[in-house]
Amino acid sequence: MLVAEHLNFAYPSPGLGLPATEALRDVAFHLETGGALAVMGASGSGKSTLCHVLAGLAPRYTGGHVSGVARAAGYDILATPPPTGAVGLLFQDAATQLFTPTVEDEVAWGLEALGTPPSHIGAQVEEALARFGLLGVRTRSPWVLSGGQQKRLALAAVWAMRPRVLLLDEPLGGLDPQGRAEVLAALETLAQGGATLLLTTFRPQAAALAPTTLVLTDGASTPPASTAEVLRDETQLVEAGILYPPYLWPTFEVPGTLSATPVITVQDLHFAYTDGHAALHGIDLEIPQGQFVAIIGPNGAGKSTLLRHFNGLLRPTRGTVHVQGKDAAGRTTGDLARAVGFLFQRPEQQLFAATVYEEVAFGVRALHLTDVAGRVERALARFELTAFAQTPPSILSYGVQRAVTLAALAALDTPILALDEPAVGLDGREWARLLAWLAERRAAGVTLVIVTHEMELAARADRVVALANGRVVADGAPDEVLG
Amino acid sequence: MSVALDFYVHRESWLHRLDPRVKLWGMLVGFATAFLLPSLIVQGVLLLGLHLLLLGNGIPWRVLRGLWRQMALLIVLILVLQPFFAPSGDVLVAVGPLRLTVGGLVQAGLFATRTLAIAFCVGALLFTTDQRALVQAFVRLGLPYTWGLTFSLTLRFLPAIQQLFVTVREAQAARGWVAEGNLFRRFREYLPVLVAVIIGTLRMSDRLTLALAARGMGAPAQTPDSVSVQRTVWRDLRMRSTDWLVFTGITLGLLAISFWLFAFKG
Repeated sequence: MLVAEHLNFAYPSPGLGLPATEALRDVAFHLETGGALAVMGASGSGKSTLCHVLAGLAPRYTGGHVSGVARAAGYDILATPPPTGAVGLLFQDAATQLFTPTVEDEVAWGLEALGTPPSHIGAQVEEALARFGLLGVRTRSPWVLSGGQQKRLALAAVWAMRPRVLLLDEPLGGLDPQGRAEVLAALETLAQGGATLLLTTFRPQAAALAPTTLVLTDGASTPPASTAEVLRDETQLVEAGILYPPYLWPTFEVPGTLSATPVITVQDLHFAYTDGHAALHGIDLEIPQGQFVAIIGPNGAGKSTLLRHFNGLLRPTRGTVHVQGKDAAGRTTGDLARAVGFLFQRPEQQLFAATVYEEVAFGVRALHLTDVAGRVERALARFELTAFAQTPPSILSYGVQRAVTLAALAALDTPILALDEPAVGLDGREWARLLAWLAERRAAGVTLVIVTHEMELAARADRVVALANGRVVADGAPDEVLG
Repeated sequence: MSVALDFYVHRESWLHRLDPRVKLWGMLVGFATAFLLPSLIVQGVLLLGLHLLLLGNGIPWRVLRGLWRQMALLIVLILVLQPFFAPSGDVLVAVGPLRLTVGGLVQAGLFATRTLAIAFCVGALLFTTDQRALVQAFVRLGLPYTWGLTFSLTLRFLPAIQQLFVTVREAQAARGWVAEGNLFRRFREYLPVLVAVIIGTLRMSDRLTLALAARGMGAPAQTPDSVSVQRTVWRDLRMRSTDWLVFTGITLGLLAISFWLFAFKG
């Protein structure tokens, strides 16, 4: 039903004298009808490329060179594209897969493309929405849904076309724990329903849905083996950059005792967006120098809104924010950037320079810091990016892009770091890189304020601040707040 | 991800259910009325009628107020400038070459109410017609499906591109970038943002191409026995008796205006 033999694929050279990228090397597996196979691999290991080749999209729409054998639903994928609906693909970034005005239209679009009689479409849309728990939002716009709902909608839209083979590229990727739980429950019903599916992931919970798993490392695959066996061999998964279990994490120790001097003081902070939505309702917070603070809370609690006040991206509607003793209200974002290094979510949207070197140098130059070359070279070396110095950041994999954003922060060497969900979508290798850098910064006495959904990370902080509905609902040591 | 450029207000009213082609026709006749009957009373009645129509069909007052706000600057400019461009009749105030006249004031009022009437005619269509139905109406009126889809995707992605611009600008600001100085310098400093937005837009369009191809755009569908099938349309537009009735009423209204103009205005 789904077969790959000696499957190789290389992307064309992006120009600028850069070589073609070999993405798949001698990949092989056989998957019977009704079976499920998990493909585990770190970011950049070739998981998405494998899905695109098997769906008939690469090299047809991407360019590049393919060789070997790939068959899906009885079609020779490499010779001719499979007919519409034979192979369904859930993309890693579900939001880009959604393009119609309402949830129900999104599901109907594929059915219309299949030529389904109009009188049958309504019932099929209803069935797909019910199956993925989306009936309550059927008339809403797909872009106002949560990440988990968007992923389930993309899944419903693909599933409604009744593909004979379903390819799921990182179905849990980029989701917070609640979104992951929602999608995992949806995938369980699919696996139990006998769908023929291949799913790529670096998360053991998702791999456990399939009885067999293969591991991709730099485009090369291991032979498929029992998932239980693969997951038991934790060393292999750590070496492949897939996992980074907490027992391997560095310690977050600060030398000596913390200074009592507050570096961030928030008093009676209220904030409402221009559309009238009030996000913060009277936050009071004092963060001493060198403290590691984790800010937790459900989606929409106001975590990112609070963090954005620390570097002046947002200004209080009422109340004050003082950074290093000075009122942030009277300071430009540029001035605050000298004190507060800020990491946004979605690194691929933050990169704007022509090369990785220029990207890292941008902030150093904008702030008129000394020793531009030295700072940039040290930051590139710290994140193993020296080889990519002249590469455009936009063509790098997600993991390397995230490393570039961290290097851009590291080059500024700020006394405060405010990081917004730095752990979302990170595989083991990226986790290791992030945590090693954070531990190093912490040891240097840098104040860390991290918004996170990852409770393992929050548990390592000195202090956890829990927000709900724009208010602080708990503030204390991790043991007290996390229980 | 940002919300799409969509003005639709979901309700279950007869105006919402009305065939979008009839609403399009009604909008055009509304335009014609605003232009062919240059009377403050007629424009005022048309504007009032549109407000009552929309409120009566569940469009909340805050949505109408939003449209008033959008139009406010333009209306103020018309009311302030127009009297001086077309002075006629009794002079109320004269300052140098500028003359404020009764005729000029009436003309400005007429232009302002006409502009508002046109805006609310468009609003009556967009507030009560979802994007899918609107695109379908254009397709049924002869627009190729791919053009309709392109129109719909443009509405979907314009705000996403705007959001991309904000994201890149914020990322640069967080690393110390501040656009300052004269206009030329600011423009030059915005260039890296624009380049990043263009690259981001191209990547977005690449991903969209793959998403459309994966869902069968441009590829013929086949039945299990390899017979090609055409794309179908869920909830296709169909003229019901109410639609024909409203269409006839609007057309008769247009004929009555034309007859009155021909018979009494030459």
